[in-house]
Amino acid sequence: MSERARNIRARALARTLLPALLLAAACSNDPYPPGDAAHKIYYTVFREAHRTLDPAEAYNVSAHKVTGSVYDSLLEYHYLKRPYELGPGLARAVPEPQRLEDGRVRYRFEMRSGIGFGPDPCFELGGAGRRSREATSADVAFQLMRLADPALKVQVTDAFSAVQGFREFRERLILRRELDPAFAELPAHKQYAALGGMEGVRTPSRYELEITLARPYPQILYWFAMEFTTPVAWEAVQFYNGNEGRDRFADHPVGTGPFYVREYNKHLRLVLERNPHWYGLRHPDALGARYPERGAPGDAEGDLLGAAYRGRALPFLDRIEIRLEKESIPRFNKFLQGYYDASSIIKESFDQVIQADRLSPQMRQRGIRLARSVAPSVFYLGINMEDPVLGAPAGERGRKLRQALSLAVSSEPWIELFLNGRGVPAQTPLPPVIFGYNPDYRNPYRQQQDAKRSRARELLIEAGYPGGIDPDTGSPLRLSFDTYTLNSQQLLERQYFVDEWRKIGVDVRLQATTYNEFQAKVERLAYQIFFWGWSADYPDPENFLFLLTCDMRRSTAGGPNTSNFCDQRYEKLFAEMALRGNDAERQRLIGEMVKILEEERPWIELYHVVDYQLSHGWLHNVKPFGMSHPMYKYYDIEPERRAALRLSWNEPLTWPAYALAGLVLAALVPGVRTFLRERQ
Amino acid sequence: MLAYVARRLGYGVLVVLGVLLLLFVLFFAVAKPEDIARRALGEKARQEAIDIWIASHGYDRPLWPWQQPADNQLFDHYARMLTFDFGRSDTDDTPIARRLAEGVGPTLSLTVPLFLVGLVIALLFGLFVAFFRDTYIDATGVFLCVLGMSVSLLLYIIGGQFLIGKLLRWFPISGFDPAPVVVARFLALPVLVGLLGVVGGDVRFYRTVFVEETGRDYVRTARAKGAGEMRVMLRHVLRNSLIPVMTRVVLAIPFLFVGSLLLESFFGIPGLGTLTVDAIRNNDFATLRVMVFIGALAFIGGQIATDISYAFVDPRVRLE
Amino acid sequence: MESHILANLLVLALLFVGAPLAFLLLRRNRMWSEALGELWRRRRFSLLVIALYVAVALLDSFSWVGGAGAGEDSLSAHEARSVIDRAFADTPRESSYSAPLARGSFYGDEPLRAPGGHWFGTDILGRDVLHRTLKGVRVALLIGGFTSAITIPLALLLGVTAGYFGRRLDDIVFFVMSTLASIPSLLLLIALVIVLGRGTWQVCVALGITSWVGLCRVARGETLKLRELDYVQAALALGTSHLRILFRHILPNLMHLVIVTFVLLFSSLVLSETILAYLGIGVDGSWGQMIDQARNELSRDPIIWWNITAAGAAMFGLLLAVNYVGDALRDILDPRTLRERA
Repeated sequence: MSERARNIRARALARTLLPALLLAAACSNDPYPPGDAAHKIYYTVFREAHRTLDPAEAYNVSAHKVTGSVYDSLLEYHYLKRPYELGPGLARAVPEPQRLEDGRVRYRFEMRSGIGFGPDPCFELGGAGRRSREATSADVAFQLMRLADPALKVQVTDAFSAVQGFREFRERLILRRELDPAFAELPAHKQYAALGGMEGVRTPSRYELEITLARPYPQILYWFAMEFTTPVAWEAVQFYNGNEGRDRFADHPVGTGPFYVREYNKHLRLVLERNPHWYGLRHPDALGARYPERGAPGDAEGDLLGAAYRGRALPFLDRIEIRLEKESIPRFNKFLQGYYDASSIIKESFDQVIQADRLSPQMRQRGIRLARSVAPSVFYLGINMEDPVLGAPAGERGRKLRQALSLAVSSEPWIELFLNGRGVPAQTPLPPVIFGYNPDYRNPYRQQQDAKRSRARELLIEAGYPGGIDPDTGSPLRLSFDTYTLNSQQLLERQYFVDEWRKIGVDVRLQATTYNEFQAKVERLAYQIFFWGWSADYPDPENFLFLLTCDMRRSTAGGPNTSNFCDQRYEKLFAEMALRGNDAERQRLIGEMVKILEEERPWIELYHVVDYQLSHGWLHNVKPFGMSHPMYKYYDIEPERRAALRLSWNEPLTWPAYALAGLVLAALVPGVRTFLRERQ
Repeated sequence: MLAYVARRLGYGVLVVLGVLLLLFVLFFAVAKPEDIARRALGEKARQEAIDIWIASHGYDRPLWPWQQPADNQLFDHYARMLTFDFGRSDTDDTPIARRLAEGVGPTLSLTVPLFLVGLVIALLFGLFVAFFRDTYIDATGVFLCVLGMSVSLLLYIIGGQFLIGKLLRWFPISGFDPAPVVVARFLALPVLVGLLGVVGGDVRFYRTVFVEETGRDYVRTARAKGAGEMRVMLRHVLRNSLIPVMTRVVLAIPFLFVGSLLLESFFGIPGLGTLTVDAIRNNDFATLRVMVFIGALAFIGGQIATDISYAFVDPRVRLE
Repeated sequence: MESHILANLLVLALLFVGAPLAFLLLRRNRMWSEALGELWRRRRFSLLVIALYVAVALLDSFSWVGGAGAGEDSLSAHEARSVIDRAFADTPRESSYSAPLARGSFYGDEPLRAPGGHWFGTDILGRDVLHRTLKGVRVALLIGGFTSAITIPLALLLGVTAGYFGRRLDDIVFFVMSTLASIPSLLLLIALVIVLGRGTWQVCVALGITSWVGLCRVARGETLKLRELDYVQAALALGTSHLRILFRHILPNLMHLVIVTFVLLFSSLVLSETILAYLGIGVDGSWGQMIDQARNELSRDPIIWWNITAAGAAMFGLLLAVNYVGDALRDILDPRTLRERA
């Protein structure tokens, strides 16, 4: 064999064998099947299996990604305009409240005709071979009654209890089911019909829906822009009951939205496909069926009002793939590799992505875009006001102690450490995007410089705990900070506050328990300090300030007021504020309420999140919305550009494999040689 | 022979019953049903809803037969588990049997390659090191094994995702897709990382076995007859070491079904390991106890199979 | 409140009573002193490393209230601080990350309060990583030691009595063993911790329950063999009491197995804890927890490596030394080699 031939053979061997061994799986990091790259598919993630996708039950951002695309609502927000503007969706117009003489209020919705449910075999119940049907006002009424059904885990019953007969309907349902087993076996829609429906919900015609409220509740209209009030087909609820191998309805959404669920594997992915029966296809002139012509100031300069999109019929995407991705780092890395189209920024990579408060040159060069917005949310440390040491029973002493605790912890360094500065320090429960927020207001108990720490120490003395020492025991005052997470990284975030309180001599102990045990503690009122957040359901100050009202107390009413704060002055102001439109008087009322919170300190307000949303250059029309409404029908994608960029970004680096193999061989050869020599 | 098999099987059944008793004590007597109910129903559950949930899942009945011989949770637990009627998950009400069926595929597609490749590598490497015993290659090999065993799998996973997934871009960092070609891409990295965690201990074990075997008389005889070292190793040593090797291998097989908790959950493979981790995270006791039961069942089955096959090979075992 | 005094007493008792006693006992026994001599010759370095870890753990277990160096944390003046804590009194907390031996903070490069004073850098809350790593030593040894203190007596008691007395008792013990052994140990461990709750002793008890079977099986098997030996049978014939036979003839001949099992068990215990830490049910202050807290830091850009490296290296150093010593011990104490040397 000639030298050359041997060389070639050796090289060929190296070339085929090594990669074949090491990189047998066609070495590529592309996680999608080969054919998919050519389609307009939007890729996004969910972090854990959805517990429920029932539009009456689903109440978190991750589930809304799906329910918000599959279920349409009667009203809709304008995609671009800020402050938020409510407009018609499935309804022809936003209804005006009609005041009745006895104090009741009536809303009359007029629905469009030709609203179609997404294709699904469950419609065979209404006739063989059927795959869809028209949605009518009866389907909305059905869903409103489901909200009152105690068999469902509905978390928003308080909001709908203003509807006349809501509570009574619920009680009648419970009673009938207990007394009459045959009734309890009927499908839900038949049960509701047998009870004669709910008093405040009437359907005068196929397309008309009449809602009567027992008392004025102007915020009810916002709830008609959410999936809670979407048309739901009785066929779907009856068919998907979890028996005989069929899904539960909670795992099998069927709705009238622009997309329908084509495939759902809880532990892998969820695929949404265009709904061929979507109302927008029949009513191209409807507000929710076209891309808006106008937006908020600044939108035109960005990517939001391109000539190619203005006024065009929605949706643009063919398919949406939502994949299970539990860990944040792989998720973000896949975004950087081009396999997800948009992403928030994980804190680990923040400095790589954002430099000097704008996108780093590296990211800009890749064509990545950044959208920034303050989310209507608030995070806070709550204090259990029914605790004998910290709460209202401790009177003035407790108040001073809460004030001292509030002064001792600062938001700014925490935001810096754990959010990379992506937060606005909170002064009150109200975030900047909500009416009533006063940019000039500074909460004296939320201003942290070192000088203030001495003020906190003074307050401790006034509270009767000089130097943090409890005079009753002679040792440092011990409090508990009850967390509902065992995640060690989140516990580290809580540890920060504990360390700050240590500085003024108060011994706060982290009590890390599971969510379960935390709930049990809450039930027994055996908790003192907790970390919590609230994200707006709708853009109204009432949706934040109600969190501290007596009716919402956790201890007595099981409501979201986990602080159990209850103050009669606050109560009176709240009642007046809730019914007013956004005017100067409302602003004044809110100011007074904030003053009470400032003094009483049931919450130590921490921050409002600032969302940093990244999207690749091939994705268009992305505007952060803040509240939990997915806006996929407005998105568009350039698949060719995406495919080309993905290829160029993801070329594998193979030389280390060869280097490693070489190294191992080099280490072995001398040994093998001496060994063979010795054996001979 | 038949008597032995029957005896062995009978004992296996006894152990299964013991395992079930232990599970019952852990998950019914010690754990509180209120906790599970609250977790399942969510934050705003009221006491009435919790009571309904507990009653509907049968957690309100007496625990032990001496409290209520006809209707108690202990007998019920035995009856359900032994008929493989696993009921529904505490968290989302899906039938556990269905989730097991969904999870077996992904788990096996991870663990079977991991097991086979690991076995081949460990055997080859063990032979190799034993072949070069008492040279620097042997010493380095053993050192590397101990080194490998002293590192937490957690660190291997973190390092592997960082180096191979992020820096070298050979494979996707995590995820899963059952489509034919893509599945290999997803599995390559977890298998590679899993090998690091497994191979060290195996190689060390096989090396000891092989080295012990090379010291025996028949090997010396073979050598004296002029058989080459390679031939001695492959024909005599490897063949005669098969019993201890097989024991270890058979004992490892049941774990194929349980999956690797860490690997699956880090790499996002929707198998039984992930199912278990989710159950742990969500305090889903119904699923957790089924997973423990299935794991034990697989293990007991494996053991019985080993023992019976030994009995076929070696008549002395039967008499014990 | 008084728990630190109890810990101090325990440390003192261990140092001034336990250690000399063990030393004397070992000196008296020819086989053991020879074995240890051999071990020292073969694994001098590993033994020194282990001794160093033990010293750190003991120093971290001895603590008292008061004294200087409480720092700005006004609470710590009222708390018991160990010798190790006091050694770090001069390295104050920073505001956040700083690299090993850096003079400025990692982000923003603002001057540190202890420039160049943090050998392994600081973590996100500005705590000294070396300090935390050293405190992890005690936790690791506690996990290994505490668990062994549960496991070994239990395993010996059951294994030896089962093997010695046989019959019904043996059947029961053997059944319990097969039952526990047939549950995948990690699953059983997790189930136990979840049911028992979070905390150091809970984790140790759970680890103990899952790990006694191995030793018990070995002890039972060995006792079965020893029981049949001539001198034991002779002693029985002479009417020696069972208790005496167990303590004179059986137990001493099991000790080597106990030692080897313990050493090999130790590393698996520490490794198991890291998995528990990942699941959020580990022990506070362990290296597993440090690794879990820091596991995302490798993805930071610029990378933060010192946290995970310090915890990983500390654990690796200990386990490597322990595994090495365990290997050597097994070779030395193997009955076959024992016989050859005799």
